Amino acid sequence: MRAYIVTTLVGVFAIDENKKIVEFSAFSRNPKEVAEKLKRSEIEILPEEKEIAGRLGRKKIFVIFSNRKEGVKHAEPGNEFENYVRENLRKLAIQKGLIKDDAEYNKFLTQANLELTKVKIKKAVGADHLVIHAINSIDELDKSINILVERLREWYGLHFPEMDKIISNHEKFAALVGKFGTREKMDEEELKQFSEQSMGIDIEDEDVKVIQDIANQILQLYKLREKISTYIEKSLKKIAPNFSELAGSQLAAKLIAKSGGLDRLARMPSSTIQLLGAEKALFRFLHGHGKSPRHGLIFSHPLIQNAPDSERGKIARTLAAKLSIAAKLDFYNGEYKAPQMKKELEERVKEILSSKK
Amino acid sequence: MINLPKVKESKLEGIFITDGKFATKNLILGEKVYGEQFVKEENIEYRVWDFYRSKPAAALKKGLKIFPLKLGMKILYLGIASGTTASHFSDIIGSGGIIYGVDVAERVLRDLVRVAEKRGNIVPILADARKPEEYASSVEKVDLVYEDVASDDQIPIMIRNCEKFLKEGGYAMIAIKSQSIDVTKPPKEVYKQALAELEKHFEILDKVELDPYEKHHLFVVMKFK
Repeated sequence: MRAYIVTTLVGVFAIDENKKIVEFSAFSRNPKEVAEKLKRSEIEILPEEKEIAGRLGRKKIFVIFSNRKEGVKHAEPGNEFENYVRENLRKLAIQKGLIKDDAEYNKFLTQANLELTKVKIKKAVGADHLVIHAINSIDELDKSINILVERLREWYGLHFPEMDKIISNHEKFAALVGKFGTREKMDEEELKQFSEQSMGIDIEDEDVKVIQDIANQILQLYKLREKISTYIEKSLKKIAPNFSELAGSQLAAKLIAKSGGLDRLARMPSSTIQLLGAEKALFRFLHGHGKSPRHGLIFSHPLIQNAPDSERGKIARTLAAKLSIAAKLDFYNGEYKAPQMKKELEERVKEILSSKK
Repeated sequence: MINLPKVKESKLEGIFITDGKFATKNLILGEKVYGEQFVKEENIEYRVWDFYRSKPAAALKKGLKIFPLKLGMKILYLGIASGTTASHFSDIIGSGGIIYGVDVAERVLRDLVRVAEKRGNIVPILADARKPEEYASSVEKVDLVYEDVASDDQIPIMIRNCEKFLKEGGYAMIAIKSQSIDVTKPPKEVYKQALAELEKHFEILDKVELDPYEKHHLFVVMKFK
């Protein structure tokens, strides 16, 4: 004689080979507790399950668990005994007097599963999701800074148009305007000669004050960008040490964001990683127009940037292959092998470049 | 002045027509799910079913004749997302029915949890529809399976789930996205292949293309053999 133990949201059933319920132990009707029990039941033996197994044992019935657990005799998931209990659960619950009718069953079922799903949602979000938002916010900051700098240059240009061409660095431009204000006060060698014979209009203190405020805000945004960038670097060292070492933290973060998480990236073939971010060109090619793209986001990697155009495809493949190994290593194992991988990668790239005719 | 009724019954159970649009009776009074419009008549609140945001509504708009949802039905919904479509299903089946909603994305399920908590007939399940074994412990046999998953294996996913969870003679509905199955082939060709695959397991009852509401989609209603 043998019996199968099936754990459901109303309680633990034991069913014999003739599909007769031989033992039963009810769970409480608290959805939170039930959710907790169902989750634990996947890995360990619950007190209710142990109790039933004990009772069956005394009756000399051989016990088989219907869900997989370490260290106990279990059947294949989806076996006919488990299916029987699951299919008839409504009926069984009402028979056992645990639940009055279908409507009450639905209510309990929804509540218990809601709790279970909430726990699962909480677990599904990893530290890589934080990095994804950080790198996306850097993109947005860059956009905002560009818009504001453009405005600043035009606005201040009314007063001192010559400066636009001389100071091409945006951050420096904003810093100078923020610090000094009107062109007469500019204490900067390269600007002095132009400020005296400028074709810009003269403006009042209160006019220049507003422009200075904008300039200082832009500087704040630059500082914020720097802060977030450092944060990304630090946090990537923790969650993806190999991958970020090989790719560089900016590129690593972008690839993680594009793929939707380190878990997904780890499951991607290297050919997909090679073309992440080049989807438009890829689909254009698949539709029969244009050439197949050679690189997506990884184009910004120095190894590709510094290579001659003719070799970039080859290097992109090599780089993507190593990156894909690194991502898998980070996600599944965690061992730090980046220096060795970097060496191998650089050697291979050298080989490609030297074999070029 | 003649007072024409604003809301008419359609030929389909639980679905109403107002001003050329479809609507369902709101299960939870006063609750909006996705910013949809309300129409009130004789103290009954109807939620307008946006056919640009929900594929079944688009299918009805394009003249779908057979739509098997009924009061009290049990439904398995693969790719439920944030609950826009599911909320209307939930209206139609009422509090006696139940929707098992499966989705892999934790982001959209967070929104769905809020909808489900209010409605009481939606069971959110965070799982991959490719692996029905993973949620077998939460789902029972259902009367209808609806799949809206943008994936190249959406047809095998449908068949596997129906074999496991759909009652004999139960209904199945699917929104086939040709761009997901094969971008390089013309949609008509993709549909033909998909339908041939489905016909091995189902009897096709009705089908419509969803253009212009959803590009490159075919909505199919079937009966399980």
